[in-house]
Amino acid sequence: MMAMARTFSRLRKDRSGLAGLSIVALFFLAAIAVWAGWLGQDWSAADGARWEGPGAAHWFGTNVLGQDIFERAVYSVRTAFEIGLVVALLSTVLGAVLGAVAGWRGDTWVDGAITWLKGVLDAIPFYLFVAAVAFALRGAPWAMHLAMVATFWTTTARLVRAEVLKIRSLDYVRSARAIGLPGVVILARHVLPNTTHILLVQGTIAFVAAIKTEVVLSFLGLGVQDGVSWGLMLAESTQEVLAGHFGNFIAASGMLFLLLLGLNLLADAMQDALDPKQAAL
Amino acid sequence: MRFTAGKLLHGLLLILGVTFLSFLLMVWFGPDQTYSLIGKNASAEEIASVRHQLGYDQPFFARYFEYLRELVTLDLGASNASGEAVRSLLARTLPVSLALMIPGFVLGNLLGIALGLAAAQHRGRWPDRLITGFSVSGMSLSFLVIIIALQALLCTPYGLDLFPVRGWRVDSFASYLQYATVPSLSLILVTLGYNTRFYRAVFIEEYGRDHIRTARAFGASTTEILWKHVLRNSLVPVITRFMFSIPLVVISGSLLIESYFGIPGIGLATFEAITSGDQPVLKAVVGLTAVAFVLLQAVTDTLYRLVDPRVT
Repeated sequence: MMAMARTFSRLRKDRSGLAGLSIVALFFLAAIAVWAGWLGQDWSAADGARWEGPGAAHWFGTNVLGQDIFERAVYSVRTAFEIGLVVALLSTVLGAVLGAVAGWRGDTWVDGAITWLKGVLDAIPFYLFVAAVAFALRGAPWAMHLAMVATFWTTTARLVRAEVLKIRSLDYVRSARAIGLPGVVILARHVLPNTTHILLVQGTIAFVAAIKTEVVLSFLGLGVQDGVSWGLMLAESTQEVLAGHFGNFIAASGMLFLLLLGLNLLADAMQDALDPKQAAL
Repeated sequence: MRFTAGKLLHGLLLILGVTFLSFLLMVWFGPDQTYSLIGKNASAEEIASVRHQLGYDQPFFARYFEYLRELVTLDLGASNASGEAVRSLLARTLPVSLALMIPGFVLGNLLGIALGLAAAQHRGRWPDRLITGFSVSGMSLSFLVIIIALQALLCTPYGLDLFPVRGWRVDSFASYLQYATVPSLSLILVTLGYNTRFYRAVFIEEYGRDHIRTARAFGASTTEILWKHVLRNSLVPVITRFMFSIPLVVISGSLLIESYFGIPGIGLATFEAITSGDQPVLKAVVGLTAVAFVLLQAVTDTLYRLVDPRVT
């Protein structure tokens, strides 16, 4: 409890961290509003002319089909959160479990096998791997998510493994072993909770990476298949920008930048506030 | 000696893993090429013969070992899509990608080191805050956004209109500059935020060490501390960062940049191979990347030993 109160008080004093948190919260509210059907529901309605300029009816103008760009950008907040949350959650859980097992069984064949798997995944250029998975499973709407989860867990696992290796030899863990608690219980109840600071920060970083990767994959035609996302809007804008239509580009890249900035600031603030090394200071 | 043997085994296992995974993903689950190679209304025998020719009628492991054999004997074959020998495809595309990616990659790292150093030396004061803010903003920009923005600013009549919009017609140094500048700037911008942040953390850690304080107390000059103590001791993380981002930046980065700007490099060739299921090309690219990765690890280990006497 003391530690948590201290973390919060430190987070409160961090102005850029607070700014980050507010930005992310605002976007999250927008995502909920879209999800609940209050915002952005007309994203696919073609109720304007082709490439209308910005105006009172269409704040950022319309796209090639006459759809309202602002409406599409707002609806994309939901897409971004769906991708970000799913990938961040799954890759962090996978990384925590594999990292904890590798650390707990440090220097055995289990550890060796997990380290080998990490090495293999790191040796394949990322976009190549993601593109290959997305293509192998084309048509499946979760192909992109799967590809990202399969590669994003490695960093989390490496950090958790190192932390678990350290914790494993601490007195309280030895005592727990001495009184005969099973390894799984010690790991779940006494070791993994002490890696929360790593998991929260890495989860946020995975969120950022997932949204960024979606943009690139959607441009390559391997990302979001139906619906709308900032990546699809940017892919649309690549041709429009050459013809002088900037609506899609400005709306999508502006929102994308704001959300990523918020997440990055939040990750930094959490890193500083949760780091047990700084708790002593 | 045992150390080297262990490294060798480690490298071999890594290459086996990469080839297996890539075979599974790109060949076994990859696109079926039968129908793009035969005409309409083919008979069952024709279909069977094409499938046999492509090896589709073989069991999983037979096909995997064939894949490995071809890789080991460097029997790379010819592209299914264009019929061009994979060797000549590599010889044609690889130099283009290197010419395209190396300047941006090196400059992105050098600028990152310079900015990281400047921030670390003024830690907590306004230059540090300015550089950190810039670096976080850079990390929040998507690669695609940077490319589109730079293209609009530098290549279109809506901006400065200085460079060609896309393509690669390079026959002299001047034309190289024409076509490579905007892609290189994009690469620098997309890597600079992350690089600056990484190098800043490295230098801050070095500046905070006790022996630096001692050296200061003994009257060592700022320059001496910078070159003899901080930079020299930061070499290991700097080398690690630089070396291990080579395959990622060069292959992953070139995939996006080349397909965006329509530049005939290895990235574009690989992407086309993925979408058309061109097995011989994919096999060569993934296999050679894995070998390059392992070689790079060996080179990095040697470099560690050169710069840090503690590493044996």
